[in-house]
Amino acid sequence: MSIEEQYRTRAKELLSGGAVKMVIGYGKGSTSDRRRPLFISSTDEVDRLVLDDACIQNLSGYLVSEGLLSDEKRVAVFLRPEGIRAINILAAESQLDAEQIVIFGFDVIGTEVKALKGIHVEEFSDVINSIKKGAPEAKEEELFEKIEKMSPQERFSFWQEEFAKCIKCYACRQACPMCYCRRCIVDSNQPQWVNTSSHTLGNFEWNIVRAFHLSGRCVECGNCDRACPVNIPLRLINHRMAEEVLGAFDHFAGMSKTQEPVLASFKKDDSETFIL
Amino acid sequence: MAKIGVFICHCGENIGAKVDCTKLAAAMGEHPGVAVSVEYKYFCSDPGQESVKRAIRDNNLTGVVVAACSPRMHEATFRKACAEAGLNPYLCEIANIREQCSWVHTDSDQATEKAMDITRSMVEKVKRNNKLQPIEVPVTRRALVIGGGIAGIQAALDIANAGQEVVLVEREPTLGGHMAQLSETFPTLDCSQCIMTPRMVEAAQHPKIRLLTYAEIESVDGYIGNFSVRVRMKSRYVDIDKCTGCGDCITKCPAKKISSEFDCGLGKRTAIYTPFAQSVPNIPVIDKANCIYFKNGKCKICAKTCQCDAINFDMEDTFEDLEIGAIVVATGFQVQNNTMYGEYGYGKYPDVINGLQFERLASASGPTAGKILRPSDGVEPQTVVFIQCAGSRDPSKGVRYCSKICCMYTAKHAMLYSHKVHGGKTHIFYMDIRAAGKGYDEFSRRAIEDDEAAYLRGRVSKVWQENGKLMVRGVDTLLGRPVEIAADMVVLATAIIAQPDAKEFAKTIGIGYDEYGFYNEAHLKLRPVESSTAGVFLAGACQSPKDIPDSVAQASATASKVLALFSKDMLEREPVVATNNEATCAGCWGCVLACPYNAIEQKDILDRSGKVIKRVASVNPGLCQGCGTCVTFCRSNSLDLAGFTEKQIFAEVMGL
Ligand SMILES: Cc1cc2nc3c(=O)[nH]c(=O)nc-3n(C[C@H](O)[C@H](O)[C@H](O)COP(=O)(O)OP(=O)(O)OC[C@H]3O[C@@H](n4cnc5c(N)ncnc54)[C@H](O)[C@@H]3O)c2cc1C
Ligand code: SF4
Ligand code: SF4
Ligand code: SF4
Ligand code: SF4
Repeated sequence: MSIEEQYRTRAKELLSGGAVKMVIGYGKGSTSDRRRPLFISSTDEVDRLVLDDACIQNLSGYLVSEGLLSDEKRVAVFLRPEGIRAINILAAESQLDAEQIVIFGFDVIGTEVKALKGIHVEEFSDVINSIKKGAPEAKEEELFEKIEKMSPQERFSFWQEEFAKCIKCYACRQACPMCYCRRCIVDSNQPQWVNTSSHTLGNFEWNIVRAFHLSGRCVECGNCDRACPVNIPLRLINHRMAEEVLGAFDHFAGMSKTQEPVLASFKKDDSETFIL
Repeated sequence: MAKIGVFICHCGENIGAKVDCTKLAAAMGEHPGVAVSVEYKYFCSDPGQESVKRAIRDNNLTGVVVAACSPRMHEATFRKACAEAGLNPYLCEIANIREQCSWVHTDSDQATEKAMDITRSMVEKVKRNNKLQPIEVPVTRRALVIGGGIAGIQAALDIANAGQEVVLVEREPTLGGHMAQLSETFPTLDCSQCIMTPRMVEAAQHPKIRLLTYAEIESVDGYIGNFSVRVRMKSRYVDIDKCTGCGDCITKCPAKKISSEFDCGLGKRTAIYTPFAQSVPNIPVIDKANCIYFKNGKCKICAKTCQCDAINFDMEDTFEDLEIGAIVVATGFQVQNNTMYGEYGYGKYPDVINGLQFERLASASGPTAGKILRPSDGVEPQTVVFIQCAGSRDPSKGVRYCSKICCMYTAKHAMLYSHKVHGGKTHIFYMDIRAAGKGYDEFSRRAIEDDEAAYLRGRVSKVWQENGKLMVRGVDTLLGRPVEIAADMVVLATAIIAQPDAKEFAKTIGIGYDEYGFYNEAHLKLRPVESSTAGVFLAGACQSPKDIPDSVAQASATASKVLALFSKDMLEREPVVATNNEATCAGCWGCVLACPYNAIEQKDILDRSGKVIKRVASVNPGLCQGCGTCVTFCRSNSLDLAGFTEKQIFAEVMGL
């Protein structure tokens, strides 16, 4: 039985027995190579679920939609390892109760879809550990290497050019499971710290704020990068921040549902290289 | 409408010579919302303050900016003046145009320009200031003294004699610290233990002092007047309430060959032991690592010997939670391990010892009962070489600073030696003789003139063994020639260094330290016994190398600080506290973790039926110290700090 069929069967069982009130998965998209999120609450719809190598979106953000989990009923969700890490972070940041989340874990290797064993987030710690170990080389790409080699001035102008394109649509924020704030700092206008107009300064401010707010939290699912209509390579910023916190504090985002947020906690043996 | 008064102080020449105050006053007078802008030579003087008060009354000012020195100097002065004139003191701000401007710039025009920026920025801030009222918090009248050396004992006694409660915590099994190890003390040569032990006993018996020995500080939370401290009582394996201190167990313990820490490795002790005969309390501890029973499950001879059934091998560490109002840190020092000086042969030749070991040899209660005998063969040395600055004033291998006491104790050692070994010869290699202190120079002259200590100015390059002698090669820089001395014993005046765990410990109590691990005072000259954390004071050699008179003086000074604090029922605190906007809070609770004072709680917001609709953070203003950590952490900008609100800071930045 293919994984798609297995998961459809499991979804049917869970829904019919009332074990979960909803399954969040993937359905057909507007073109043959696209998938869109599917929210299913009855067994009749289960056969619309698709699971293949085109299922790339991290669906965890939908779990924190206002009111979804407040009835304490369970919700099932299709997640790649990054999505599973996101559940840990959301739980650690008190945005959801991990007990309520039933995971349909999968990973895509090449074009092959592989099931990940487990139901609750704690059961995936081995998977997460192994990505932590393999983290750097798996993600690195040519552009990243190129930027790393630049002088600070060159790098600044690279990003200046990239950010100049930003139209402040905040699609990156909407797509990010970690951007769950009720009121984002950019929408606060008393005072207006971040400029709303999309000129270079305002764009810089926004993107830097975003980078900082996600450091130690971003799981590199790529949602923001894919959402950006002007193709700013946001993944590179996030990856760099992830490397920084890993190197400086041995912090790999989403290791467990009790992991302390890196910017809110300190250990006595943290390196203090930033203190001059 | 804002009516701000701007008062520009010349601070004599300090500001006036660099910043064109007339130009600054004129420029500020033009700034929107400024009703008065004047300059004066010294606004902090009485007439200066009077003129500020008058200006407030005459113009109904809504805010005041004093452009002057750092707010650390005179913020309180001017806020008080404003209050006296009927203006809420928190509507007064200081623009620092001295430390941050006139003192650090050479170009007058640029300095004036910058002074304008700084002052304008504060004017913009003060327009958005709110009236605030100080917060009152109660004071717990109980002091914690950490470290039971002479400094800690003195501080504890002074506080207790004034009628206040003290908890004295010492991590070793006994009080005493280093002073208990010394033989006789400069500059008077009185016996150290004879003057120390009465103090130890007095501290232990004082009704106001609670003594916790063999105990360590586990954690410190809270703030001035209201610390909560957790103490770990390490298991002694001897019940302190049952033991009578008879010492039978010590006599019978078969593990007798353990090197004694108290005697700096020159003597031996048993596994159940008190560090020295006059230990306070006189209750032994079992050294688990060396106890035969703990090593291989058989022995318990001590338990069989004990008449009082005081020995308990199942004892475990326990914890004490203390409510404390003020803390005195008196954790002392260590002497440097000189094995790093391979050329001096310390650790290689048994007769090369350090100053502290010499103290033990010279001490009547020491391993040789006060006879100077060399460790290798117990023979009386006829020639002794002392090497000063062994580790001190040596940036390449040791420490850069002067250890302050070694010149004096080396002179003392030479004297003690010549008193005990008649006809013995002493040679002292030194860099300078630093003998500043009452009776100190006279003391070192006495060593030279009466006791024939031969001082040689120069460094030693090498010590080696030859024909049963320790050969010491150095230079006499005054005569400009190399010297070689055949000695029987070499004594190194090793550097005084911070406790090995000093930095770690500083983090536990939340105080600052220097690159060496000595604790930082709030101000080297004006606040030498206060740490930078309010309510935590420093006494003795934990702050810098010190002799006994200085340690004791500093300890008494900390006591007076503690007593001043305890003289009040309530402390007034700045109303600089955080508040949370529950409407925008995302309930991530990062701030709960980030707050170093545990001032933020989790709060459920319920609907009418009692159902949780939202979970948010909530700041307890009684606990908040206004550090602002949570404000910087909060991603959604929900937290704000009174006195430094986002609006104020934003206005300040935009005013630049
Ligand atoms: C060789 C030598 C000779 C000297 N001769 C003289 C002399 O003749 N005259 C003179 O005036 N001075 C002399 N001194 C200096 C004198 O020893 C010091 O001035 C004095 O001991 C300083 O006292 P203190 O209480 O600050 O520190 P210490 O004596 O070091 O006491 C500190 C105490 O704190 C305890 N402690 C440390 N950390 C902790 C912790 N975390 N928790 C609980 N307890 C802790 C330690 O166990 C110790 O008991 C000499 C020093 C040396 C090394
Ligand atoms: S999605 Fe792209 S364009 Fe839109 S706000 Fe983010 S970075 Fe700017
Ligand atoms: S960018 Fe920051 S403030 Fe805005 S939604 Fe994301 S985390 Fe919240
Ligand atoms: S950090 Fe901000 S958003 Fe998070 S709980 Fe605290 S106040 Fe709320
Ligand atoms: S300002 Fe914030 S972090 Fe600092 S003590 Fe107050 S509540 Fe805690």
